[in-house]
Amino acid sequence: MTASWKQLFFQILLLVFCRHINTKTPGPTPPPLVADSPLPTDVRSAILKGESHTEKVEVVNPVNLTLECTWAGNRDKQPNITGLWRKDGEEIENSLLMVQLENEQYNLRRVFNIVNEESLGNYSCLFGNEARIDFVLAAPHIGEVRDKPIVGYVGDTAVILCKMEESKPKPSTWNWYRTNGTNKEQILTAAEPHRYKIVNEGEKTKLLVHNLTEADSGSYYCAAVYPIGTTMGHVELKVITFFEPLKPFLAILVEVIILVAAILLYERSRSKKNYAAGNETNDQSNTLTQGENNESEGSSSMRQRKV
Amino acid sequence: MTDVKPKAESQSDEAEGPDGGWGWVLVGAMFVSTSLVFGLMRSLGIFFVEFVQYFDESAQAISWISSTGLATQQFFSPLGAALCNAYNTRVVVMIGGCLAGLGLILASQATRLVHLYLTMGVISGLGWGLVFTPMVATVMANFTRRRTLALGLGFSSIGLSSFAFNPLFQLLVEKYAWRGALLILGGLSLNIVPCGALIRPQRRSKAPAKVDSETNPPRASLLQRVSSYLELSLLFERPYITYTLGVSLMNVGYFVPYFHLVAHSRQAGFSEYQAAFVMSAAGASDILGRVASGWFSDLGLFRLIHLLSMWTFLAGVFIMLLPVSSLSGSYAALMVISLLYGFSAGALTSVVFAVVPLIVGVERMMGGLGLLQLIESSAGLLGTPLSGFLKDVTGNYVASFMVSGGFLILATLTMATLPHFFSCRDPPPPQKRSLNDKDKGLHSELEQINSLPADTNHREEL
Repeated sequence: MTASWKQLFFQILLLVFCRHINTKTPGPTPPPLVADSPLPTDVRSAILKGESHTEKVEVVNPVNLTLECTWAGNRDKQPNITGLWRKDGEEIENSLLMVQLENEQYNLRRVFNIVNEESLGNYSCLFGNEARIDFVLAAPHIGEVRDKPIVGYVGDTAVILCKMEESKPKPSTWNWYRTNGTNKEQILTAAEPHRYKIVNEGEKTKLLVHNLTEADSGSYYCAAVYPIGTTMGHVELKVITFFEPLKPFLAILVEVIILVAAILLYERSRSKKNYAAGNETNDQSNTLTQGENNESEGSSSMRQRKV
Repeated sequence: MTDVKPKAESQSDEAEGPDGGWGWVLVGAMFVSTSLVFGLMRSLGIFFVEFVQYFDESAQAISWISSTGLATQQFFSPLGAALCNAYNTRVVVMIGGCLAGLGLILASQATRLVHLYLTMGVISGLGWGLVFTPMVATVMANFTRRRTLALGLGFSSIGLSSFAFNPLFQLLVEKYAWRGALLILGGLSLNIVPCGALIRPQRRSKAPAKVDSETNPPRASLLQRVSSYLELSLLFERPYITYTLGVSLMNVGYFVPYFHLVAHSRQAGFSEYQAAFVMSAAGASDILGRVASGWFSDLGLFRLIHLLSMWTFLAGVFIMLLPVSSLSGSYAALMVISLLYGFSAGALTSVVFAVVPLIVGVERMMGGLGLLQLIESSAGLLGTPLSGFLKDVTGNYVASFMVSGGFLILATLTMATLPHFFSCRDPPPPQKRSLNDKDKGLHSELEQINSLPADTNHREEL
């Protein structure tokens, strides 16, 4: 049984590199075939040092991806160990094989056809029951998305921005969705051109919503479209009326008015007291200078002639 | 600063209040109003990201908003000073507070970028111009021996408030978007009005001019009165010009590290976090420097002008050392030099304004400050583009830091040409001279306005 599997394995590899070979597929369940048009190839490998290891793989275009796992083994290095591949937790059919110990290492290697969104996911290679390496295949994640809701005002325009990091590949296009209950509906600017406007600039996209109403509050999704699939970013929009900030503003305004009134009233009451008591001292200061202000030491409460 | 002075001043006819008492209340008012002017201006950066996104404009166009605000504030400083001389300081500051708040409130309704230039830039800038110089002059007029400490405490608000405003503005923008946040900021700015209300009307020192001109209308024509309110006569006096020139040269180099230190640290190979931390540390030592220098100056051990020269010289030296320390690769060296630079830069701000009444006399201080602000600001506008240009030409910041430090040292040398610089004691301050003038009556006022060169010899007291 093992020999034929090895044969199959090599045949698939050969097929990838040389198109003309026909694959005879003995065995009850054929493994996934390659597509007719040749896909580019790529290799990802990981070496396991501890218990488990996760490797993130960014996929943009359809590709034949070879995943390699290397494990140094544990203390008692058995000459043979079972190797297994899983996708999203479920065992891939006919992927179980016996791995030989070579150069003090166990090696597992398999080619996967990543053609569409279903092909993406979490691929794991397992050595026996002990060691596991996870490869997380996904389209590029949208990095810069606001986690706090964007606030807009009724009647105003809201600008929602989604940006892919510059280091990551640019999406082919962007789409916008908004949730209506539980469904995601795509926002089509053609349907309502005076309400929505989408501006796509490579790695950035902006959704402009004009004439906001409170019904526009909710979740919006920007979707970066890649050949392999789409990734979503979530932004929340909150529409408020102008009364919201008006409340703290009026509170501050009242505080300012109270302070000013208090200061002026305090001063007026003190000046009334001092005016009655300080008339004589005012006359004295007049003789001392030519109507210039004068201040006595230590006290600043005397009201002057000049108001 | 001998013991004889306070007694003499208390008998003078200037409105120099005693140290303490209501003066400290005014220091508190200055603390609040300065933080709402400069602290607010420094934290407006939080809004810029929102503006760029909403108005779809470049960062450069958005940064013009705060440049316009700052330029308007400094341009209208002489106007604020003149209005205080002509009318009532209290009313001027209260109106300034209303304008500052109004500008921000109107900005919350902006639909185009131009609206922001006009509201946040011009209207609020005008309000700020009517607030800052009068408040500083009022506080200085209320202190004699503790003047620098009072100023240091008041100016420390700029650094402290920008620490507090950054998270506050961030919170406001997250909760209410930029429109609501600007509205609330406008309300906060209205708090300048009670600060202005705390100014007692009798603190004005230009009263005699008004009295004299009222009794002689044919002589004091409108133009002459305006020029006396603006203290334009100061522009013809050598000590004032020398001092203003020195401060302007200092201004060219002073702001450069604030703008370029982070970029320079990144270029020298430090991480973003490390560079930002250096900047914050320099800001903290700046606050410390302001208060410490204020306290130290008032001990009276040295003349204010000598202390100012020393701090300016040190700041220049440390700016020049900044690229040297970072090029050596040592983070500790960069941190130490930045802390020293921050301390000396803060220290000199406390003293810069306090020297003005020693040169021009307390009664002309208000106008003197206004003109000083206007002239030094135009120099400040040159500094950052020049250093940016040097950086573009040479590829790194070494040349621009060296030139900036050089400008500060040049400023020190300019200030050394002030008359009586090398004497150990302060010469008798000009206000004594004006006391005698007022005893003589009208002639002094008209001489001040009309024939200046002869009188400046007498007024060259510093």
